[in-house]
Amino acid sequence: MITQNVTRTSAVRLDSVTKVYGRGASAVRALDGVSVAIPTGSFTAVMGPSGSGKSTFLHCAAGLDRVTSGTASIGDTDLSDMNETQLTRLRRQRVGFVFQSFNLVPALSVRHNIGLPLRLAGRRPDRHAIAAILDRVGLAGKADAHPAELSGGQQQRVAIARALITAPDVVFGDEPTGALDTVTAKEILGLLRTCVDESGQTVVMVTHDPVAASHADTVLFLADGTIVDEMAAPTADRVADRMTHLGAWA
Amino acid sequence: MLRYALATLRARKSGFAGAFLALFCAAALVTACGSLLETGLRGDIRTERYAAAPVVVTADQNVHHTTQKGDKTKHKAKPVYERVWLPADTADRIAAVPGAASVVPELTFPAEPLDAAGQPWDGPEAQGHAWSSASLTPFTIGEGRAPETDAEIVLDRGLADRAGLAVGDEVTVQSTDAPATYTVAGVAEGDVTEQAAVFFTDTEARRLAGHPGQDAMIGVVPAPGTSTAELADRIEDALDGTIARVHTGGDRGPAEFPDAAQARIQLVSMGGAIGGTGLLVAVLVVVGTFGLTARARHRELALLRAIAATPRQTRRLIGREALLVGVVAGPLGAIAGLPLAGWIFDRFIGLGTVPETLGQVRSPFPMAAAVLTTLLAAWLAARVSARRTARIRPAEALTEAAVEPRRTPVARLIAGFLTLAGGLVLLYVLSLLHVEPASTPVTYLTVLLLSVAVALLGPVLARVAFTVIGAPLRLSAVPGHLAAHNARAGARRLAAVITPLTLLVAMACTIVFTQTTLGDAAERQARDGVLADRVIAAAGPGVPHAAAEALRGTEGVTTVTEIVHSTVRTPGLDKYSVQGVTAGPGLDSTLDLDMTEGSLDGLADDGVAVSTVIADSKDLHPGDTLDLVLGDGTPVTTTVTGVYDRELGFGELTLSHDLLAAHIDNPLADALLLDTDLPDDRLGAALADFPGLAVRDGGHIADVMAQQRETSAEVAFLGMGLVLAFTTIAAVNTLAMATADRRREFGLLRKVGTTRRQVLRMLNLEALTVAVTAVLLGTAISFAVLTSFSAGMIGEAAPAMALTPYLLIVGTVTALTLVSTGIPARLSLPRRGPA
Repeated sequence: MITQNVTRTSAVRLDSVTKVYGRGASAVRALDGVSVAIPTGSFTAVMGPSGSGKSTFLHCAAGLDRVTSGTASIGDTDLSDMNETQLTRLRRQRVGFVFQSFNLVPALSVRHNIGLPLRLAGRRPDRHAIAAILDRVGLAGKADAHPAELSGGQQQRVAIARALITAPDVVFGDEPTGALDTVTAKEILGLLRTCVDESGQTVVMVTHDPVAASHADTVLFLADGTIVDEMAAPTADRVADRMTHLGAWA
Repeated sequence: MLRYALATLRARKSGFAGAFLALFCAAALVTACGSLLETGLRGDIRTERYAAAPVVVTADQNVHHTTQKGDKTKHKAKPVYERVWLPADTADRIAAVPGAASVVPELTFPAEPLDAAGQPWDGPEAQGHAWSSASLTPFTIGEGRAPETDAEIVLDRGLADRAGLAVGDEVTVQSTDAPATYTVAGVAEGDVTEQAAVFFTDTEARRLAGHPGQDAMIGVVPAPGTSTAELADRIEDALDGTIARVHTGGDRGPAEFPDAAQARIQLVSMGGAIGGTGLLVAVLVVVGTFGLTARARHRELALLRAIAATPRQTRRLIGREALLVGVVAGPLGAIAGLPLAGWIFDRFIGLGTVPETLGQVRSPFPMAAAVLTTLLAAWLAARVSARRTARIRPAEALTEAAVEPRRTPVARLIAGFLTLAGGLVLLYVLSLLHVEPASTPVTYLTVLLLSVAVALLGPVLARVAFTVIGAPLRLSAVPGHLAAHNARAGARRLAAVITPLTLLVAMACTIVFTQTTLGDAAERQARDGVLADRVIAAAGPGVPHAAAEALRGTEGVTTVTEIVHSTVRTPGLDKYSVQGVTAGPGLDSTLDLDMTEGSLDGLADDGVAVSTVIADSKDLHPGDTLDLVLGDGTPVTTTVTGVYDRELGFGELTLSHDLLAAHIDNPLADALLLDTDLPDDRLGAALADFPGLAVRDGGHIADVMAQQRETSAEVAFLGMGLVLAFTTIAAVNTLAMATADRRREFGLLRKVGTTRRQVLRMLNLEALTVAVTAVLLGTAISFAVLTSFSAGMIGEAAPAMALTPYLLIVGTVTALTLVSTGIPARLSLPRRGPA
């Protein structure tokens, strides 16, 4: 089963992860004993109905939130014992993020938004590296634009460029196409796919859109805080079908 | 990081405008106050009258006190409040000093020419001198000639012009004796603006000055070949061991104007109080605006935290932004503070708090201090508000809406309760303070501390207040319902708005009502304490003793009580206000000081009656002795005859008129209290020889007191008014910021079908809730402070909060809240179609 996939080459690994919010009677068990290993160089989609714990999954796997029990690791690094500053350092060196919206700092130009993780790490971003990465995401020449001057799709491309600039172990996407029209969404998913295929980048994406999920190598299905199924080589129809029956499954 | 901070500032100008404005105003306020303070510390007092005398000798105008603490000897000196005269042989001793070319003794005494109605002319107070000392300024004859007979005078040009008097005219002069008519023999030219001068013959001047044989000061001109410093040294040696003090150069000004020296002390304390309060207000306000800015960019900060920034880096970012704002706002505000400083100084001169001869110091120090303190305030505020942002969880970047944290952090609650406890302690301390200079700064500090407690406990208070006030709102239609729920949910945002408004209400009430509380109590005591049927008041410098004698000789007048006022010290340098009243058997028919022990009998034999406050603090009872230093430096040992309650209306000590009048610059009575059944016209007839005296009823004393109180209140309002104006700006700008930040929320409301009118009405109701909460909290704070203040100052917990000014304050604050919520809301709500 899923637990047997655990290998030394996994980019992200969760072992019996439990996450509980709140205390006492009002406690919510958002993740309940989740174990999963995501191999390096793969494109994984995480799906599930609202409240299934897919956002919590992302937070715990990416080091945005601490687990209640179990262990989460990125590469060989265990995140459980890290404090807030250590987690931040880990995120800025080894994790990239693409959120649904509000990915960019409005006050900064594209160039500075992309260079932000490097700058905060105390490094000076290389102009050529930024130009190259902008070229890669199809925004060559937009380095000095401000976020407000860009379309939604272009903003997501900048976010992807920023996620890639540090050459991270893994890029996490939280509904990265959720706020886009279908044509633009397809372009963005294609871009993520290319990153996996051409550069061996690991991508983990939370989504509720079967079409988006169909671009992944593997789809994980979450319901009520546990992983209930896994699908390889997904198509939109099969994913939609599985989602429809997910309620009954649980 | 710096680049990022700069870019953020550029992009979010409006968000930082609030902090900028607050820091700008704070810098201006600190510059202005710093300038007052510096003027107080080292402002030059120009000499006028003694400009032509390089060396000036006066008597030491201080009381000295030496305390022995262990093996440390501490020496303190405090000024007295009337002129100390030089010993009789001083002029002779100076004349014997080699190198003294001319030695000019000077007499100074009040001498006011009166018009036909007995009124003095407008302009500075007139002083009488002997013509022989005219060369000190110098005054030279412009028209006519020097006075030759004792019935002739010379007027200075300014006075003669104001009065329209020319050589040969006759004029009545009210000096220390009965008014007399003189002929203007000449008009003298001299460079004075702060005083008017009336010159008499030497014998007449000597008679009017009193103090036989003594001089007010002596001017000395060095002989050719002798330097001023050399001569001054020799005179100092010659006068060693006496109370005479030698002044040269810039030191002559303070010697000529002891009042200006007193004004300097007042400037120092006022500058410090206003500047300090302003700075504290600035920190409080800027913490609020930075907090609001941080709230508006909550998602951005969360994003930063998610992708790369450590908590330390976010804190540093906010700190740098604050410093950048401070770096711009500080110097600009400091520049704006210069004209402000000039304006305040002019107003103080206008109100008579500061004499014109005190030159305002213009130096870069106050500006530098303002820039530094502003930066410090900005940094401090950023540190406080960054504490909050450090708690932002990076995962929040992923959630769509910024959620109000439900619980107030425990640390904040603890800090809040500690501040509240501190405020309560200060309230208690305040109730133990009996003198205004001690209690005024504590009053404002208490208000500030309690306001800080409100700021810290704000979310909790706001939630409670909105639950209570919101109850009727929830029952109403859409807007009321929305407003009530919004207010409760957004308690923390609204708490940031309530703080400056509460501070505004509390400050305004405290500033206005400390004055009325004191004024009312003093006026009430004066009204209750004057039993006299009639009061004789003077339009000029005072009521001459001869007038009192004339009335005593009139049939139907049973008692005439002369009243003079001054300030005395104890050898231990305590300062007390004192009144002198004619001692005698009829005193209890004109004056009731509300004796708690003893009586006023025996006042004539160096007796003293003391207020209960002094009696308590010094453990005095009838029969005890009390050592005093009178206004002119004369030590006396007095015996306590009684203890009384009405100190605010009549002064802290009561001496006999004869004792006090002999030791003050102006021996004329401030008023006469009459026990009489004569009608006013009969009294008027008895006073026919005394121009400018009027017959009033017993309430006149209280009326005069109220007027004087008004002037001192005006000075307080001027100073604290600046702090108020500053607080108002801060409150308005916080409100506007808080409303402008809610653009998205308004858009959402419009989208779900709320009409523009409904949104605006909702906001109005919300603003009203905020205003009511702030008014309640502010009133509670000021009421508590005023109660303590009155308990300490007037001995009973009786704060006088007059309805009209209170309603005015409440109305203004409510209107401000509504307007500064309404305008930005209107601007951010599109008129047509949902946003």
